[in-house]
Amino acid sequence: MSVPTADKALEVDLLETRAVGDPKRKRKSLSFDSVSTGEKVLRYVFLVVMLVVAVGPFLWQFSTSLKGPLEDIYSASLSLIPSQPTIDNYIAVWDAIPVWKYIGNSLLVAALAVGGNVVFTTMAGFAVARMKFAGKGFVIACFMGVLILPGEATIIAQFVTIKNLGLADQLLGVALPGMVGALNVLLMWNAFRIIPKEIDEAAVVDGATVWSRLKDIHLPAVRGTMAVIAIFAFIGAWDDFLWPLIVLTTPDRFTLTIGLQYLAGTFSTNQRIIAAGTMVAFIPIAILFASLQRYFFMGVEEGGVKG
Amino acid sequence: MVQTQAARTRIGRGVAVLAAAGLALGMAACGDGGGGGGSTSGGDGGGDGEITGSITFQTWSLTPTFQDYLDGVIAAFEEAHPGAKVTLQDQPGDGYDQKVLTQAASNSLPDVINLPPDFALPLAKVDMLDNLAESDPGMGDVYVAGGIEAYQFPGLDGTWAYPWYLNTDINYWNTELMTTCGLDPAKLPTTDAELFDQAKTYSENCTDSYLMSRAPGVEDFARAGIEVINAEGTEFTFATPEAAEIVERYVTAYQEGLLPNSVLNDDYLGNSTMFTQGQVAWSTGGAPAYANFTKDNPSLEGKIAINAALDVPSLYVQGVGVSAQSKNIATARAFAQFVTNADNQNAFGKIVSVFPSTIASADDPYFSESDGTVNGDAKVLAFESLSRAKALIPVQFNSSMGTILRQQISLAMRGDIPAADALDAAQKEINQMLADQA
Amino acid sequence: MKAHRWYAPWVLVAPALLWLFVFTIWPSLNTIRLSFTNAKPLGGNFSWVGGANFTRLLDDPPLGRALFNSLFFMVVCLPLLTLLPLLLAVLVEKPLRGIAFFRVAYYTPVIASAVVVGLIWTWLLNDRGIFNTILQSMRVISEPLPFLTERWLIILSAVAVTVWKGLGYYMIIYLAALGNIGKDLHEAASMDGANAVRRFFAVTVPGVRSTMTLIAMLICVAALRVFSEIYVLTGGTGGAGGEAMTLVMLIQRYSGGFEGNLGYAAALSIVLFLVTLVPMGAIAIYNRRQDS
Repeated sequence: MSVPTADKALEVDLLETRAVGDPKRKRKSLSFDSVSTGEKVLRYVFLVVMLVVAVGPFLWQFSTSLKGPLEDIYSASLSLIPSQPTIDNYIAVWDAIPVWKYIGNSLLVAALAVGGNVVFTTMAGFAVARMKFAGKGFVIACFMGVLILPGEATIIAQFVTIKNLGLADQLLGVALPGMVGALNVLLMWNAFRIIPKEIDEAAVVDGATVWSRLKDIHLPAVRGTMAVIAIFAFIGAWDDFLWPLIVLTTPDRFTLTIGLQYLAGTFSTNQRIIAAGTMVAFIPIAILFASLQRYFFMGVEEGGVKG
Repeated sequence: MVQTQAARTRIGRGVAVLAAAGLALGMAACGDGGGGGGSTSGGDGGGDGEITGSITFQTWSLTPTFQDYLDGVIAAFEEAHPGAKVTLQDQPGDGYDQKVLTQAASNSLPDVINLPPDFALPLAKVDMLDNLAESDPGMGDVYVAGGIEAYQFPGLDGTWAYPWYLNTDINYWNTELMTTCGLDPAKLPTTDAELFDQAKTYSENCTDSYLMSRAPGVEDFARAGIEVINAEGTEFTFATPEAAEIVERYVTAYQEGLLPNSVLNDDYLGNSTMFTQGQVAWSTGGAPAYANFTKDNPSLEGKIAINAALDVPSLYVQGVGVSAQSKNIATARAFAQFVTNADNQNAFGKIVSVFPSTIASADDPYFSESDGTVNGDAKVLAFESLSRAKALIPVQFNSSMGTILRQQISLAMRGDIPAADALDAAQKEINQMLADQA
Repeated sequence: MKAHRWYAPWVLVAPALLWLFVFTIWPSLNTIRLSFTNAKPLGGNFSWVGGANFTRLLDDPPLGRALFNSLFFMVVCLPLLTLLPLLLAVLVEKPLRGIAFFRVAYYTPVIASAVVVGLIWTWLLNDRGIFNTILQSMRVISEPLPFLTERWLIILSAVAVTVWKGLGYYMIIYLAALGNIGKDLHEAASMDGANAVRRFFAVTVPGVRSTMTLIAMLICVAALRVFSEIYVLTGGTGGAGGEAMTLVMLIQRYSGGFEGNLGYAAALSIVLFLVTLVPMGAIAIYNRRQDS
C-alpha cells in the first residue's frame, strides 16, 4: 500500500538532479538494467575465479565421498576424480545412523531458532530504529555490549540454567538460548535505520498506527535483512555441535552434527563415509540458502515504497 | 485493548522467567563451589540392596559398530536380574570431556559411565565416583594389576573404576619406502638408538619422504626411566639432563633434515595420516590400526611390516565407573562388574582387537594365536606386548600441559633455545597449572 | 508528535532484551564474579582471591604476545573483510544467468565446520601443498615456506582462512543493504556519465555506509576472538613456543578440562572485553564524525 504524498517527496529528495516528469527519467528501466556483453563476460570471469577459490577446497571432500573402497584417499598426488565412483558411501551413512531422525531433530531446533530470531529481532530492531523513547540509547548500548561481553567458558552455567528450567535433554532446551542473537538485533536495527524518515512522518500524518506502519511500510522494506537473519539463525542452529551435545543425552534426540560424529567411531573410521556425511549435512543449508537468496536484495524497491 | 492485555501478559511472563532464571543461576553459583552435590553417596543405606530399578549406562563412541554387542550384554544382565533395566546412552567421540564435565557439574552423571583414567581422577577428587575397592574388595583377583593401578590415584585411597579393556601400541613400517630408501625391512629398529640410525640412512637416500615424523613427549622420558612426576603427584620432575639429552637427539635430527617440518606442530591428524599418505615410513598404532590404514589407502596392503614398540610399550586403559550419586547404586555396581567380567570382555576382544583386563582371559588362546593375516599378527604382537606395557603418561598430565611441553620442545628443535632451557620452562609452567588444580 | 503509546517500544524490545539478559548478560556477569575467585569447574576450593588473578596477568609473558597476535590479526582482517565482501556483493548483485548457483557457492565456506576447514587448509598450506608448489615452480622461493610453523606466516595464513570463510558471510549482509540503494541513484549517476568504478565510489559505498560501519565493528569483535583458525592450522599448539597463540587460545588453556582455572580464565576474558572496547569506540567515533 503506497502513500502517495510521501512518494513524490521522496523521489525529488533522492534524485536531486532530475525533476519528476523529466523525459530522460522515464527511460530508466531500460538502459540501466541491460548489461553489455563486454561487462557480462567480465562478470562471468570474475564469478568463476571466485567460484574456484570458494569451492575448490571442498572438491577434495566431495570426491572422497564418492571414492570406492579400493581407491586411495590420501595420495601424494591429488586425485580429484574418483576412478571407481560409487554412492555406496552415502548409503552406508544412512545404514549406520538414523539420518532422517537426526535431520528432523536439527530441523526442529533450526525452525525454533529462525522463528525466534526473525520475530523478536525484527520487533526490537524496529523499536530502536524507528521509535523515539526514553532509554533508547541504553537499549542500543545493551545490544552492542552483549556482542563483546566476556562469554568464554559460560557453557556450563548456561546448561545449568536450561536444566533448572526443566529442559535438559530436550530439543527446546537446545534451541532456547539461540532464539535471539544480539548480532541479528543489530542487523535489523541497521536495516530499519536506512529507511528514510520522511515515509514514517508522512504515514503518521496520514493517521497510520504503529502496527500498520510496521506491516505496510517497514516489514517489506527489510525483507532482505530478514532473509539474512533467517540464514544466520538456521546455520547457527544447524551447525552447532558442542551445545546440543551438552544439553542432550538420549541419542534419539541428537541433532545431525552430533549424529554424524558417530561415523568417526572408536576403532572404526572410514574417511569416505565421513566425507559423505559431511556432504549430507551441507545439502539442507544449500537448499535453504538457494531458496532465500533472491530475497536478499528485495529492499526498499520491492516494498511498495518507491525509492 | 487486546494489545494492552497481551503486552501485560508478556511482560508478566517475562518477569517470572527472569526471576526463575535468577534463582536458578544463584543456585548454580552455589553449586560451583559446593562440591559434588548434596546427596550422600550410595554407601550402605539402600545401596547394598536388590539389583533392580533403572540405571543409565554411558559409553564413549562405541555405537553403531558395537551396538549389537552392547545390547547383548544389557539383555543378559536384565535376564539375570528381573526388575533391573539398563538404558544405553552412547556419546559421540568429540567433546566427551565437556559432556562428562557438564554432567558432573550439574549433578547428573549417569549411573555407570565409561571413563578413561584422566577423567576419573578429577571426578574422584570431588567424590563423584563410587570407591569400588570398598564395595568389591575381591576385585584384585579378577583384574590385572596394571588395569587396577590405572584407576588408583595418589592422595586418594581406593579404586575408582573397573578396568574395561586394554590397548597398547605396536610399530608399523612401510616396507616399500624402506627398501627404496636404503633400509632392510627384515632388520626393523627395536630401540630408539636404532631408529635414529636408520632414519639417518633413510634421509641420505630419500629427501621426499621421512622415516620418523614425531617429536618427543613426556612418554619418551618415562620410557627412558626418568621419573616424570613425584610420588605424591604434586610436582613434575622431568626436566633432567637425561631428558635434555633425549630432546637434543631430536633437535639434531631435525636440524639434519631427518624430520619433516610438521613435527613443530601437533599434526592435526597425527603421523598416522602421513603414514597412510606414504609420506613417512613409520607410525605407531594399536592392533586395529592396520585395518584403518588399508581401509583408507588400499594400496598399502602387503607393504606394511610390524614389530613391537620400541623399548617399553605404552599401556592404555579404558574403564567403567559408578556414580556416587546413583539412585540404584547396587544395580549400578552389579552392572559395572558384569560388563567388565571375563566372559563379556573376551567376547568384546573377539570383535575388535582390544584386550581384556581380566586375569582369566590371559589363557584364552584367541589372543595369542594368529590367523595368519597381518591383522591377526598385529593382534598377537600387541597381546604379547601387554605384559611389558606400562602407563607412560601420568594421569595428571592433561592436554593443556601437553601443549605447553610441545611448544617448548618445538622451540628447541627449531634451534631457538637449548633443550635444557625448554624443559625447564615447560616444567615450571606445567607445575604452576598443577598447583592451581590442587 | 506522539506516534505511539509509551509502552509500545518496550513491548517490542522486551523479548529480545529478556533473552539476551538470561542467556548472555547474566552468564557474563557471572564471569566477572568468577574473576575474583579461584573457582574450578568441579567443586573444590572456591574462595575469593580479590585481585590476585589480575596481578597475575601482569606477570604472564604469553599474555602480552597473545594480545599482540590477536590485535595484529584484527588489524589485517579489518580492511580485507570490510571491502572484499562488498566487491563480491556487487559482483553477484546483477541477476545474470545461473547467479543463484554462484551465490550459494560463495556461501559454502561459511558453513563448513572447523574440522573440515582445518583438514583442507593444513593440506593446502603444508610443505607439499598447492601454495608452496606454485611459489616454488614460479621460482619466487626455493625452500617451501613454513606457513604452519612460523609465527607471522601462521597468522597470515589464519587471516587467509578467515577471509576465505568470511567472504560469503558479510557478502549477504551487504547484498541486503545494496537492495536499499534505489536503482534510480545508479541511474542518475550513469546518466551523469559515471562509469562503473566511479559509480561504485560515488553511489554504492556511501549508500552502504551505515552497514559498513556495523560490519567493521562486527569484524573487530570477531577477529579479536580468533581461535579456531589458528588452533586448527597448528594442531592446537599455536606454533613453536606458542608464538602465534591468540588471547582466546590462552583463555581456553585455562578454562578447558576438568581442572581448569576458571578464575584466571575469567580475568583473561575481561581483558579481552576491555580490549574490544577500543576499536569499537574508535569506529563509533569515526562514524559519528562522518554523520556530522
